[in-house]
Amino acid sequence: MENKETDLVVRKLCKAFGKNKVLRGIDFELKEGERVVVLGPSGSGKSTFLRCINWMEEPTSGEIVFDGEVVTAKNIRQIRRNLGMVFQHFNLISNMTVMENLTLAPVKLKLMKRDEAEKRAMELLRHIGLPGKAAAYPASLSGGQKQRVAIIRAMMLSPEVLLFDEPTSALDPESIGDVLSLIRELADRGMTIMIVTHEMSFAKEIATRVVFIDKGRIIEEGTPEEFFERPKTKRVREFLEKVL
Amino acid sequence: MSDFFSKIGELFSTPAYIESLLHGFLLTLQISYFALLIGIFLGTIIALVDTAKPSKWMAVPKFICQVYVGIIRGTPMALQLFIMFFVIFAIKGFPSIITAIIAFGLNSAAYAAEVIRGGILSVDPGQTEAGLALGLSQWTIFTKIVAPQAVKNIIPALGNEIITVIKETAIVSMVGMYDLNMAAKDIGSGQNMASYIVPMFVAALFYLATIYLITFVVKRIEKSLRKSDLRTEE
Repeated sequence: MENKETDLVVRKLCKAFGKNKVLRGIDFELKEGERVVVLGPSGSGKSTFLRCINWMEEPTSGEIVFDGEVVTAKNIRQIRRNLGMVFQHFNLISNMTVMENLTLAPVKLKLMKRDEAEKRAMELLRHIGLPGKAAAYPASLSGGQKQRVAIIRAMMLSPEVLLFDEPTSALDPESIGDVLSLIRELADRGMTIMIVTHEMSFAKEIATRVVFIDKGRIIEEGTPEEFFERPKTKRVREFLEKVL
Repeated sequence: MSDFFSKIGELFSTPAYIESLLHGFLLTLQISYFALLIGIFLGTIIALVDTAKPSKWMAVPKFICQVYVGIIRGTPMALQLFIMFFVIFAIKGFPSIITAIIAFGLNSAAYAAEVIRGGILSVDPGQTEAGLALGLSQWTIFTKIVAPQAVKNIIPALGNEIITVIKETAIVSMVGMYDLNMAAKDIGSGQNMASYIVPMFVAALFYLATIYLITFVVKRIEKSLRKSDLRTEE
């Protein structure tokens, strides 16, 4: 792992919503090929952390460096092409068909011609078993189908890093499996991934590193074995007792 | 009752009455149409300013829009019409139809702005976030994602506003303009039919028919815009 490139560096990241300090100084690094699972109790700031990385929330202070470039309001649009995001509530664009959802960004950003984009989209749809849904609107899809389309929509831009913000929290148990196996497949292909999740067994299986956030700070991080078998802090032990 | 029908016969067999009614109806339509054009155009601008991200450049325009909407919605339309006629455009020979159009247009803008603003704000913020996460520009996000979804929410309420304006233009008779309402009063007066019931009944039918037609068209538009909400495939 030593010679892997560092994709992302986060320094002293703070985020406050009014007087509510959600993140209180986060230092973090993400290297190419890593799969980092972010855990923490609800309200700990883990989703906000993820959302600050691609500036869905503008950080109050601190610095985010992506591919050696400090993220600012000016370059964030460019950076987001390489920093895909999958949301808890899928956020498929409801006035567009599945195909339009997939091709909108690559065509608008002039990364692909329309026919190229449609061909690629069709391949990906076939891959997730939904080629028949190309002309359907999101409202006619199940939750699991929506989320899998959202994942391939992010993949259409071939990002370097994919951020997953609780991708299975809004799904029924049956769909969760489908979505997780798609994420697992991306992981197997070497995708760099950051994921906020409550699926502990999935976290254990997929993570190369686990980060635990509490009250806006990273209080423990390590390999899944270290984290789940030999937690260093009392707070993590308490957390694991409750969730496992 | 037979008197009622004979009066109807009288009204429709007197070309001067029919002409008066049609003249009045035309004026009502003209004022409503142009006032709504102004209202929707200006209302859209106000709504866009109002929903724009707060910044130092937007602070003053936002404040102006809020004050404007507050004043228009907080005072009677009839008073606004009087102010236009007797204060602002109290110029000899200035066409009263233009004064009326401006008065109703400026009034309608404030209400249309609220309708459009509500429509924009009702779009799930997740839709904007999806666009942002894909690296799309604010312009693309607005025109391709937010605006089309907002329109779906706006159309029904805007249909209401159109209907309100058409009916409200009846108060131009207060400043002596010869609209549909005034025509009914004139035809029913002593020098003419000397009976109000029939001309007013007919005027009501004109208003009803117009509004029915608009409601019908708005419903059709609404239905065609809802196709992406259907849970079945086409």
